[in-house]
Amino acid sequence: MRDIRMGRGVFLGVVGTGVAGLFVGSRLSKAAAPLGAVVPNALHSLVPDGWRIYSVNPPWPTFDPATYRLTIDGAVEKPLSLSWQDVMDLPQAAQTTDFHCVTGWTVGNVHWVGVRLSTLWEMAKPTAEAKFANFISMEQPYVDTLSMAQTTLPQVMLAHTLGKAPLSRAHGAPMRLIIPEMYGYKNVKWLHRIELVSQLEAGFWEQRGYDVDAWVGHSNGY
Amino acid sequence: MHRFGSAERSLHWLLAASFFTMLVTGLILYLPSLAQLAANRQLWKSIHLGAALAFWVGTFLILTSAPGGLGRTARELDHFDEDDRRWLAWSVTRRGEEPPQGRFNAGQKLNAALIAGLMVVFSISGTLMYLQETDASFRGTDAILVHDVAMYVAVPIVIGHMYLALVNPSTRHSLRGMLLGTVRRDWARRHHPKWEREL
Repeated sequence: MRDIRMGRGVFLGVVGTGVAGLFVGSRLSKAAAPLGAVVPNALHSLVPDGWRIYSVNPPWPTFDPATYRLTIDGAVEKPLSLSWQDVMDLPQAAQTTDFHCVTGWTVGNVHWVGVRLSTLWEMAKPTAEAKFANFISMEQPYVDTLSMAQTTLPQVMLAHTLGKAPLSRAHGAPMRLIIPEMYGYKNVKWLHRIELVSQLEAGFWEQRGYDVDAWVGHSNGY
Repeated sequence: MHRFGSAERSLHWLLAASFFTMLVTGLILYLPSLAQLAANRQLWKSIHLGAALAFWVGTFLILTSAPGGLGRTARELDHFDEDDRRWLAWSVTRRGEEPPQGRFNAGQKLNAALIAGLMVVFSISGTLMYLQETDASFRGTDAILVHDVAMYVAVPIVIGHMYLALVNPSTRHSLRGMLLGTVRRDWARRHHPKWEREL
């Protein structure tokens, strides 16, 4: 009877497959994506929906509709301090877009409802000084920034509804910035203040080496 | 009769404890519904990484302090003889007599090799995930995807392992071997006859 060293073969096979997966995994999973369509919907609800919740200073901020204010100030003619009801009374927009995280995960076809920034700019009237918008989170010290031109890209919004439900605390209640063209770290959660400024100020992750213009597929080493 | 030495049992239970700690904290980090219950991501991340570190440090300590090391155990797990290969086929078809097995049956050898490989895969991909979250220059690999797939492979294996060790009447006696070190001779004769004959 001849022994074979199958144990180490299996061990090395698993390790090798894992290491290879580091380099070709996403290409393989994209190729296999059509298979996902044949999985029954009941099964889809059992598996994680793909979101991962990141925060930099737990616990997460809490939202109280009675006291919440959305402040827009800095280089504007008319600083705004909107109550939650004021925000909900603004013209609403809806879109279905993909959400990409810089760490590698993506959630496809996310339905958002919210307010376009152009609506807010019409009310606050940015001055000629205004070149960048700082989006400030209730979660201190999280902030990120867009150029004024980026804030009015067609799919940029302040979203308060995810799917059919109000944005949950985990997802940044009551409102988060959505810019699908850029990675998630630009999509500031728990938003409560927008400050328009003339000079670029580095956001939370930009101070830690991430790109200012976080274009999906064209930044941060991709 | 004596089946598992103290080093083997220590390594097994170190793996079990750290695996379940990492599974629970990993799911908290991964599933938003759980993350909402436990908003302190930093804390769960620290526990998750701490368990991984404890596993490798503990493994190193057990391997270096075990009298005679675990080399003999590793050799037993590595070698599949003719009966082992026939046993693997038998375990699927269940036709004919069960081919006689040694101290480890072929399924246990396969389980050990798979889990050992997966622990290495978890560690490599997890290290990359840790680095890429804090430093932009470490991105570009599919570490998260690999970590997830490894979890989807490992959990059914562990569930199957626990079913055989805790529930299945004919095999669950083996848990005593992993807890106390010893098993009944008649049980060993039925499940591991080649080993039982040697002793």
